[in-house]
This record gives sequence, C-alpha cells and structure tokens, in this order.
Amino acid sequence: MRRLFFLIRKEFQELRRNPRMFPVIFIAPVVQLAILGYAATTDVKNVPLVVVDADRSPVSRDLIGRFEGSPYFTVVHVTSDDGDVLRDIETRRAWMALSIPPGYGAAVSNRRSVTVQVIADGSDANSAGLGLGYASALLAEGAADLALARRPAGAPAIGTIAARIRVWFNPQLLSQHFMVPGVLALLLMVITTVLGAMAVVREKELGTLEQLNVTPLKRWELTVGKLLPFGLIGIIDVLLVVALAVLWFQIPFRGSFPLLFALSLVYLLCTLGLGLFVSTVSDNQQQAMMTAVFFFMMPMIYLSGFIFPIENMPAIIQPITYLIPLRYYLVIVRGIFLKGVGLESFWREALLMLGWGVAVLMLATMRSKKTLG
Amino acid sequence: MLIPAVTVRDLTRRFGAFLAVDHVSFDVAPGEIFGFLGSNGAGKSTTIRMLCGLLKPSSGSALVGGIDVGRDPEGVKQRIGYMSQRFSLYELLTVEENITFFGGLYGLDDRKLAERLAFTLTMAGLEGRGRTLTRDLAGGWRQRLALGCAILHEPRILFLDEPTGGVDPVSRRQFWQLIDRLSDEGVTVFVTTHYLDEAEHCHRLALMHAGRIAAMGTVGELKSVFADRAVVEVRTPSPMEAVRALDDLPSVEKTSLFGTAIHAWLRPGERSTAPILERMAALGLRVESADLVQPSLEDVFMDVVERAGGTAA
Amino acid sequence: MRKALAVGRKEFAQIVRDRRTLLILLFVPAFFLMLYGYALNFDIRHVRLAVMDREHNADSRELLSSFTNSTYFDIVATPTSMGEIERMMNEGRVRVALVIPEGMSRDLRNGKTAYVQVIINGDNANTASTVFGYAQAIVRGVSAQLQIRLAAGRAVAPPIAVEPRIWYNPELQSTLFLVPGLIGFIVMISAVVSTSLSIVREKERGTWEQVRMAPISTVSYVVGKTIPYFFISMLSAFLIIGAAMALFGLPVRGSWVLLFCLVALYVTSALGTGLLVSTLVDSQALAFLIGLLISLLPTFILSGFIFPIASMPEPIQVITYAVPARYFLAALRGVVLKGVGLGIVAPQIAALGLYSLIVLGLASLRLAKERG
Repeated sequence: MRRLFFLIRKEFQELRRNPRMFPVIFIAPVVQLAILGYAATTDVKNVPLVVVDADRSPVSRDLIGRFEGSPYFTVVHVTSDDGDVLRDIETRRAWMALSIPPGYGAAVSNRRSVTVQVIADGSDANSAGLGLGYASALLAEGAADLALARRPAGAPAIGTIAARIRVWFNPQLLSQHFMVPGVLALLLMVITTVLGAMAVVREKELGTLEQLNVTPLKRWELTVGKLLPFGLIGIIDVLLVVALAVLWFQIPFRGSFPLLFALSLVYLLCTLGLGLFVSTVSDNQQQAMMTAVFFFMMPMIYLSGFIFPIENMPAIIQPITYLIPLRYYLVIVRGIFLKGVGLESFWREALLMLGWGVAVLMLATMRSKKTLG
Repeated sequence: MLIPAVTVRDLTRRFGAFLAVDHVSFDVAPGEIFGFLGSNGAGKSTTIRMLCGLLKPSSGSALVGGIDVGRDPEGVKQRIGYMSQRFSLYELLTVEENITFFGGLYGLDDRKLAERLAFTLTMAGLEGRGRTLTRDLAGGWRQRLALGCAILHEPRILFLDEPTGGVDPVSRRQFWQLIDRLSDEGVTVFVTTHYLDEAEHCHRLALMHAGRIAAMGTVGELKSVFADRAVVEVRTPSPMEAVRALDDLPSVEKTSLFGTAIHAWLRPGERSTAPILERMAALGLRVESADLVQPSLEDVFMDVVERAGGTAA
Repeated sequence: MRKALAVGRKEFAQIVRDRRTLLILLFVPAFFLMLYGYALNFDIRHVRLAVMDREHNADSRELLSSFTNSTYFDIVATPTSMGEIERMMNEGRVRVALVIPEGMSRDLRNGKTAYVQVIINGDNANTASTVFGYAQAIVRGVSAQLQIRLAAGRAVAPPIAVEPRIWYNPELQSTLFLVPGLIGFIVMISAVVSTSLSIVREKERGTWEQVRMAPISTVSYVVGKTIPYFFISMLSAFLIIGAAMALFGLPVRGSWVLLFCLVALYVTSALGTGLLVSTLVDSQALAFLIGLLISLLPTFILSGFIFPIASMPEPIQVITYAVPARYFLAALRGVVLKGVGLGIVAPQIAALGLYSLIVLGLASLRLAKERG
C-alpha cells in the first residue's frame, strides 16, 4: 500500500514538470462546450431562394410576397432568366428556386389551374426536405386563399386548422441541452482512456516499465497508480462541465446530482479500464493513441447516439451500439439533466455500464503481467 | 562448500520457432563477479531477464538466492537488484526524487530511506546535486545513479545488463571500482557486457554464442586454452592485402583483423615472426611493427565463435 | 531537395516498420467510412408517432394519412389518455404525439380555428427541430387542402399545383450529404494524428540531438518529414472515396483532376496542422491532446459537415473561416455532387492553399528557432 503512495507521488511529480498539460486539460472542456453549444443547430430558417418570375404580373408578385414574408425563406434574387437558377445553386447563393411560369397571372385570373415549379439543392438533404415542405405549405396556403376568394360574397366563413406544437424536455430546442451530456462523455473518454493508455505505454516505450517490473511493486498497484491521476482529472472535469452547463449555458438540471456523480464514476471505470486495455495491446504511444482514437473513440462518437440518432441506423448496426458504454451514459446523463428521472428509468443502462466496466478491467488485468509468458 | 547464489540448469527460452537461450547451465558463487559475454543477439539479455523474473523460462530451472524463479518470480524481487541497459530513470524527476521513489518501492522506511539517499549521493558523486533533474545529468552520473537506485535495498545479488553502454572510459573505470567494492562486501554480481576489456574484471566468465554457452571459466583458464599458441600482431598501412598475403603461410593457422592491426595465429609450436616479415617484404607491403603478443580475450572469443559457427553448421 | 528525400525515406522506413500504425492509417479510415456511411443519417424516416384521434371522421383521417403518406412518420400507437402519452414519451417508445381535438371539422365549417396538438420529444434537438418543421408544414398543407375543398363544395384541383424538383440527390438521401463530410473528417483526423507525434517523438526518445545537428535546412527537413505521410494520406483518402463510390453510390460528376488537386491541398493543410502542433510541445501526450482539440471538434462541428454554417451565430461563423475542412467540404460537394468546375471552387482552393502555406511556414519557423 505504501508502495502505491510512492508511485502516485511520482506520477504527480512528473505531471508537475509538464505544466502545459494542465491548461489544455482544463480548457479543453470549456472550449468544446462553447463551440458545440453555440454552433450545433440544424434549424432551417432563412433558406436562400431565387425566384424566376417569367410572368412578372401583380399576381406573381403577390406570390413572391408570400415567400418574402415567410421566416423560412430569404429571397436573394428575383430574375427572369432561367439560367440564373443553375448558377445560383451551383455557387450556393441560393439553396432553392421558385419558378413561376409565363401566363401565371392570366391563369389565376381565369380560374384555371396552374403549376409552379420548386427546385431544391438536394446535396443538403436536410435543408432540402424541410425547404420543400415549407414551400409546399406556403403554396398550398396561397392556393387556398385563392379558392376562398373565388366564392361568392356572403358565403359562410371557413376556418383553419393550426398546429399547436409543444416540445417536451427541451422547449427551446436548444442543441446545447442535447449536446452537453455528449460533450461531457466524450471529454471523459479522451482524458481517461487515451491519456491513461498513453501514460502506461510511455513507461513501456521509454524502458522504465521493466525497471518497475523488477521491483516488488504489484501489478494492480501499478495500474491504480498510473490511472488514478487521470481518474481524478476526470472527476474534476465532470464537476467543471456540469457547473459550466448549469451556470453559464443555463441548462436546466432537473435530476439528482449525487446520482449523476455516482454513475459518472461508473462510466470512468469503463473508460479507465478501456485505457488500460489499449495499453496492453500497444507498444508505443503512437500506437496507443491511434488504437484508442480509431477503434474506440470515433466509433463511440458516431454510434452512441451522441449526434446521430440510433433509431435511424440500419437494423444490422443497432445491436452493435449495445456494446458502447457511451450509449448508456448518454441516456443516463440526458435523463438526469433534462427529464429529471432517476434509476427507475435507466437502471438497465446503469447495470449494463457497470458490467461493461468490470468486464473490460478484468480483461485488461489478465493481459498485463509483470512476468512475460 | 558455499551454496551457490545462482544455480542454473538447462535453462531454455523460445520465442516462437526461435531458440534464444538453449539449455544453459552454470553456477555463480556468493560474492563472485560473474560475466556473461557475447555479441548482440547471443541471448545474454534474455538469460538475465529470466533470472530476474521478468520472463518465464520455456524449460529448465534457475535458483536465485534459493528461490525458483520459474515458479515464483515475485519471490526474488525484494532480494535482487537490476540495472538495465537503458538505465531506466525518470527524466523528469530530480536525482533525489528518483532515489526516494525506488526506495519507497522497495519498502524502505523513512529513516532507512534517508540513510540510503545520503549514501547513494556520495557513492555516485552527486552530493549537492540532489535537486538536479535527471534529464540534465551526463552519461557517467546517470549510470552511477542507476546503480545506486538498484541497490537501495541492499540486495545480496545484483544483475547488471550492459551497464556501461555509451559511457566514457573514465566513468566506466569508476563504475567498475564500485562493482569491485560491492563484490568485496559479499554481493554477487552478474553482469553482461560485450566489452571484452571489462570482462577482465570478472572472476569468472561465460561466453555465450547463439543461445549456448560456448566457453566458461576464469579469465586465466580461458586464455590458457591458447597458452601454447602465439599470436603475432602486425601493424601495416595495408591490412587487407596483408591478411590475404599471410593467410596461406605454412606457419600461420589463421589471420584476423584486430582493430587496425592484424592478428596472425601461428600454428602450435611456431614462434617466429620471420616468415611473416619475409612474405610482407616479398610483396612490397610495409610493416610498421610485428610483435609476439599474448592472446587476448578477444582472440579467445573470436576463436570460440568461429569454432561454434563451424560446428553449428 | 535530395536531403529532404533522405529524411523522407528514413521516416517512411520507420512508419513501415511499425506495421500496426501503417495498417491503421491506410485501411481503417476506409473501413470506418463503410461503417459510418451505413449507420449515420439524419433522415427523418419512420418517426414513431402516437395518435389520439378524438374526432374520428373523414377530415381527421385525411390529416392522419397526410402524416403517414409523407414517409416521415409511422403511427405506432393509439393511446387514449394524456397520461399514456406521457409514459410513452418518457420511455422513448414514441417520439411524437398527435392529438386531434373533438369538433375539428365543426370549427372548420364555422370559420373558427381548430388546434391540433403536436407533442415532440425534444431531447434530441436536431431531429426534434426537423420533426417540428415537417409537422408544421403538413398541418398547414392539410388545412389549405380542406379549405379548398370546402370552398368549392367538392373535390377540385387546387388553383396552384406544386411540381417539386430535387437536384443532385433525388431520393434526398442524407448519406450523399454526409459522406463527403465524413471523408473530410476522417482524412483530417488521420493526417493530424499521424504527423502531430512525428517531431515530438524524437524529442521524447532522445534522438532530437541528431536532428539539430543534421546539416539540412529546416524547410527541407519539414518537407521530408511530411512526404511519407502525404502519400499515405492520399492513398487513404482515395481508398475512402472509392469505398464511398462503391458502397453508397457517391457520384463524381466533376473533373477527377480537380478532385485530386483538391484532396491533395486538403491533405497538405491537415498534415501541416499536425506538424505545427508537433513543433509546439514536448510530450507526445500533449501533442495528441492539442492535435485532437484543434482538428476533431472544429472539423466535426464547424465545417458544415452536419450543421449548416449559415445557421450558426455570427461570431461562430467567423471562426469557421479558420477551419480548412469548411473549404474542402464546400468544394468537394460542389465537385462530386454538382460537377462544378475550377471557376466555382477557385476561392476554396485558394483558401486551402493559403492555409497550407501558413501552417507549414509557422512550423518551419518554429522548428528553425528550436534548432538554434
């Protein structure tokens, strides 16, 4: 036990002599959070629109006015030249185009049906889909107004159906609320898994591991000693991120903090164990880093539901996501932050996460031996 | 009869199909300086790692301080000291911090730790420099510091793996004085090296080649193999031509390059340099000197390796 | 130049010997493109919808069928109380709930406004806002349709018919949108990660002295260090593009030459970034952290990969000008999906070129200083 103390002291002595680490480790969360918090939004508003008005009548200008008045669109160009459409869309000056055919005004005045073309730049599928939806709705409303106006005077008024939309758990649809738990989890993984793995492998790479193996220092003492500092940093990061989220970004915290803390410790168990495992399969720091980043971190970012929803993934891939502890941690953190629920809602996830952590630690411990066989 | 400090019987280690250590057997007496010689890849480091409990033997046994390392690798760790080729110190720690750290790992209490700290600083000549970062120490100081860290817990058996690599000759000599002192105090020192001049320091030597012990004995015993053989050391500005010229002389058994000179091994019974001088003159090759010398350890080693290589094929 | 090649050759030999790293750098990116390309999309399809229809007539059925016909929504439950809805939402069994009020048709014929409730699970703000948009549009569309029918007294053709056209991506597969972004992301990470350790490693292992003493100009050294990684990254990048073409039908509608130049410039900018990081720190762990910080997140978030830059707040938009992936992505999408030519992407190419010069220049300066 006393040996462990000496090892931990040495780790801190070494860390102290690498002073640039600290600001990076603690500024990283702030920066990540800030960027993500402000930048991450898929809202589609002010879609740039180019209008080809081949009719140029008051009637067509009315229609254009509808689009100008809508918050969803910004009319950037009104032209009578068809060729402008291609140019504008290629340069992304416009993402959509509205093409009003010649004779539009005459058709409307004579109560004939007329077709209007709407073009969307499909390379941005998300915006295109929504943009088309809005345009269709606007044009439908234009058509309805025309139909209502054509009725004889004195006809009974016709009402509308409107949607009253409520968003639960995140009424302002702020991406931050969604992103912060993900950032926290990601951060913890970078710090504990990758840095932890590199720290252990560094001894291997520089040759001091052999010297340690020759002393009475036990393997578990070495593991705990090397990973503890990173565990501590991880805990501080949890506190830091939660504080930032609540105090700066004003993300509501509706659940129990002790529960969040306890389950974060379980998550840390998973990430540290993973770091240890990575160190047993790597010979030098570069390998450790690449293995951790490519084989664990990136899949975890993509397949855990951090940004991309799991239910959108093809059926074959969904089972794989069950292997990712980040998936469970995200459910838990989002649940605690946004829904204010507790273990009764995610006891399954908590248990699975714990199991994962224990399993990976056992696997890693089996692989790391003082005496090579 | 003293119980040997280290007893090795048929120690073998395989890495896949490669046989790194091939049924090696020897004993080391307490207080002895036992040298393990061989070129790189001969199996020296592998052997030492097995004796330290760092590597599990594929077969055979090794008793270190009475403990079977194959079965109980952890058991020896408190009793032995080990210093590796790389010195394995923490660059970012100061001299004192390194000593304190390793002392703590060996379970030294505060009082003992302070005592050994002072001793090590003196022994390594680092008094007053305890606060220096290890990274800033020159080769020779580092070497002595590494040795100091290996003996903090006063082990009776010490394993040194190429401890003088990349260190200047003066430091090397100082280092060996320390080893001698330890040996005088009864510490058994097992050292591997490929510097043959250092091997002269050892009480006994084992020459390792291709995983086997090719020759073993005291320095005198090894050299005496050639007691009746003479070697002529020829210095000439044209060594390559000289080698070819002298190789087929009847009185010469073989020639080899020895540093910048040539060693010509005379056949048993021959003692004269005359035929050599004649042949060199005949071919118009200048001779700076041609003297009879005692076969050195290097000659012995080269001979052993050649013969082993010859029979192994 | 010859000395640069010597440095390059040595670096290459070292890379090749570290078999695992080489394999990771070459093949893993393509493999992961496969994985992510299949797994990731933002398509709003089959959103689980719960419906509580209190009206049960032709009008309400028309509203419901508009939702299901849109292909975005699947009706998976018909709860009978708000409590049930709440439970389903909490457990995540449904993501949207639609409550059609009693008397909707009557209100419509009496000139009043009937309110349909739409409850959306907001925990995934991205998909939630998209669902919000679609739900809104669908309801408005149905309202107008019903109005037209009521006004004419019978089913008629609407006065204005819409003919939608989707260019470049008729199926609106978000994959085609995401895959170029994935390419940019993966290439960036690989490049930065491989070079960020290259110089620091020498310092940590103690071979730095040799570098300082070597009779080679700093610029040559920098070029030499970068060359092997350039080839590896280019190879990897085109393996990814190949995989994208084979598996996801990514078209290359523009010029291959232009594509090649574009990728080469991007790779250079990424390598330069990694190299710059390597010159700034003393430990490999720190190099990794910083490299990751300035490449992972910015490329992920600020390049237009997923989130449209135009929707970001002004100050953040300014920051995106410093992210090379931004230019690469805009140009890549243009070249492969739209087949545009040099004239259109010239600004992006220039930006990438400028960025590369800056980072490589800074790295050289820094290195020259350290060599004394």
